[in-house]
Amino acid sequence: MNYTKQIQEIAAKLFAEGKIDVFVGYRMNGFDDNQVPVLITGPQEVSRLVFTDKSVFNLVNYLKTDHTRRKRVGLVVKGCDSRSLNLMLTESQVKRENLYVVGICCEGVVDDAGRKMQNCTECMVPDAVVSDELLGTPSNIGLQPYAVNPDIAVLAEKPLPERAAYFEEVFENCIRCNACRHSCPLCYCAKCCIDQETATLYNGANTTSGAFHALMTWSLHLAGRCVDCRNCEKACPSHLPLHLLHKQNESVIYENFQEHLAGVIPGDRGAFYKYSMQDPDDFIM
Amino acid sequence: MLCKVDKVIQETPDIRTYRLKFREEGMMEKFTYLPGQFVEFSLLGSGECTFCIASSATRLGYFDCSIKKAGVVTADMHLSLEEGDEVGIRGPFGNWFPLEELKGKNLLFIGGGIGLAPLRSLIQYCIDNRNDYKDFTILYGARTSDGMCYKDEIREWQDNKSLKVVLTIDQPEETWTTNVGVVPKILEEVVMPVIENTKVITCGPPIMIKYTIQSLVKLGFADKDIITTLEMKMQCGLGKCGRCNIGSTYVCKDGPVFTNEQLKSLPDEF
Amino acid sequence: MSVETFVTDKAGLHKFYEAVMASRETYAPVEKFGKFDFKRVTRLTECDPESPIATTQSIKPLFFPRSAKVMKYLATSAGTEVSEVDEDPLAVKRVILGAKHCDARSLQVLDKVYNWDYIDTDYQKRRENTVIISTRCDQAGTHCFCTSLDYDVENLDAMDVVIVNGADGKIYIKARTPKGENFLTELNTEYRILNIESQMSEEDKYGEMKKQYESFTGSFRLKMDYKEVNAKLSKIFDTPEFENVSGNCVSCNTCAFVCPTCHCFKISDEKVKDTGVRYKSYDSCNNGYFTLMAGGHNPRPVKYRRWRQRAMHKFVYYKERFGENLCVGCGKCTIACPVNISIFEVVNQVSSAAMQE
Repeated sequence: MNYTKQIQEIAAKLFAEGKIDVFVGYRMNGFDDNQVPVLITGPQEVSRLVFTDKSVFNLVNYLKTDHTRRKRVGLVVKGCDSRSLNLMLTESQVKRENLYVVGICCEGVVDDAGRKMQNCTECMVPDAVVSDELLGTPSNIGLQPYAVNPDIAVLAEKPLPERAAYFEEVFENCIRCNACRHSCPLCYCAKCCIDQETATLYNGANTTSGAFHALMTWSLHLAGRCVDCRNCEKACPSHLPLHLLHKQNESVIYENFQEHLAGVIPGDRGAFYKYSMQDPDDFIM
Repeated sequence: MLCKVDKVIQETPDIRTYRLKFREEGMMEKFTYLPGQFVEFSLLGSGECTFCIASSATRLGYFDCSIKKAGVVTADMHLSLEEGDEVGIRGPFGNWFPLEELKGKNLLFIGGGIGLAPLRSLIQYCIDNRNDYKDFTILYGARTSDGMCYKDEIREWQDNKSLKVVLTIDQPEETWTTNVGVVPKILEEVVMPVIENTKVITCGPPIMIKYTIQSLVKLGFADKDIITTLEMKMQCGLGKCGRCNIGSTYVCKDGPVFTNEQLKSLPDEF
Repeated sequence: MSVETFVTDKAGLHKFYEAVMASRETYAPVEKFGKFDFKRVTRLTECDPESPIATTQSIKPLFFPRSAKVMKYLATSAGTEVSEVDEDPLAVKRVILGAKHCDARSLQVLDKVYNWDYIDTDYQKRRENTVIISTRCDQAGTHCFCTSLDYDVENLDAMDVVIVNGADGKIYIKARTPKGENFLTELNTEYRILNIESQMSEEDKYGEMKKQYESFTGSFRLKMDYKEVNAKLSKIFDTPEFENVSGNCVSCNTCAFVCPTCHCFKISDEKVKDTGVRYKSYDSCNNGYFTLMAGGHNPRPVKYRRWRQRAMHKFVYYKERFGENLCVGCGKCTIACPVNISIFEVVNQVSSAAMQE
């Protein structure tokens, strides 16, 4: 998978036609063969753009920053990224007419060590679902049977105390830097409820219980919205298995909310945003 | 150090002055401070906030803090902190107005809104040592007549023949008989200060300070004669937490009182 | 210091580590989720004092904890009681194994801010009670640039005991401070028997360590002249280049939290009914609310200004105030950063781009 040349051409054309102010893409990080996101503001920098199977970061995250707000933006999206873009559009966070989207028919990306990312091996939507221009051959895999994440399956087998101990360890190793939240394209609130000073619901101190509060609240806010791009997990300096929190929510929602998968259908709202007579209600007495 | 709230004065709808006394006997004598310094005021359970001391040490037995409802802690104070309650106090921190330099000078105080609080400390100090100073002018502006703090005390000042007090509000009101207009305008049109041998002390909202300093400079004041106190978010007051950094300056240790000369040497970030 | 250098081999070193762990509370790098961090250990099998990968965080949390209790209180209608927190759990006699040079050095930098004006007694106590044993790196990491900064990596006296894997395959253990010397004397156990080269002169031992040092310094990818950076940065507060370099920053706090020298904190209360605890926790200038005041005024409302503060504080302000760079070149921030922003690149890029204007 290498679309470097095509993307450079598209970006150059967009700048030449004056259609965009900023192009969000990837560049080489300058010291090894990994890549970092880059925001390009003019045609002279277009040659820095690359796209290979190392283009891991979800660029939709940059649609919420000062650098792109109220500007016309071109950006590259893979399958999972396009799902989060879909949600951003549905939730009125960005305007479609301000975007020029280069969609990728993704064959999966690899981590620093060159292994295929776990979410790519179980990916159900590899082709970009929103795009102005689609690169690559659509896989047209259609809907696959849903498979529960293997890590979740392993954990579910374990007795409760053991699971609790495992998660305790996770929260203990959290340093509460909030990199997960800031790397999540769908965490776009101007001020997170966890940082609110007016509601002292949450523990501002940097403790294990604080980490528990913060991570659980965060994962519940993303329930039915998380698109499994794993930006959070890649961002975590302590390498915590954050996907466990999200994948668990995802499988419960898939089972209970008419096989709902976040952001796959344009205009489709999150599972908890719409009401249907078929929604489970057995938790109500 | 724990303090008991001795008296609550509702200055305006959203400003309250708390008169505090130490719970422990004899603590007040040890708590020595000079005009311009500040304390860390903690409402247990809500958090800590930085406030300047609004009274002068020349008035014995108590000290005042004037607090405007703005954030969480201050909102909680307005909601629940009443006479007889207890609060924690750390301090005093920071530097103070250059009292020695002010001696023998004409003084011009320019305050806006809650910005009169730090000036009040100095005004009280100067009134109590009136013979050390020459002409004495206070220019005080607020958005509305309701928004003026220390109304009773201002009346006292107006009755005091050795002071000149000029008040102004931003928008005209029916019952208001004197000046209307923003502080820099009144400064240029009504006060018309003497420049020679005068020190100006100003405090107010950041935007007011900015324009007041501009018009003072226009009137011909030297940068070193313009003194102001800065506001920055602070947490420790001890020069550790790094929050109040402006360049290599710690506002909590090197400030909050700065002359315009010093301000010019700082990066433009306040 | 005329203290003798021990020479030993792998087995002797392990004996030494075990003796250390038996003597005092020990902290060493422990692997969790593929990353190393300093944790309390009792056995050598639990940890890896020579972990080749840099730890996620430095040893900073052992001196300036992520979250420390400042005080406790009980407020009832009868009055308010404020009490000091219980004995500081970190102020016991302890040893840190496997700290890197940059980790140890960062404490010297932090000492400056903790010891001016008001002295942070908790920090001081922890500092006094801790012996730092450090293994000199053999190979520079991808993001390391410690040799480019203003300290003598070879003769650093920030660590109390240094361990060098000599060029000749032998292992050299040497005390650098009186504290380290006392510690080694107290630790008079069987590992001393393993002093395999008692005939070797101090000069020869030093020569072997020097050789190792030279091959280590030769392995650096990143090199810069910090004096030039200091001088250039101090003149270019208003350069637009800061906007370019901060473009892909996601405004999280990771860099500051893992940084061994970042020391900003916030104070927060945790309240349960009538009782409560006040905490002092890490905070970061990259956080948008860092300087937001209750009245709504924020002197640093946008990302590039916060980045500028971070870069300038590290390479200009701290230098002006305390005479040191607030950076030890450990590269932890770059490794931890979600988008690999390197402070090294930022300061170099900004200062060179601004000079061209």
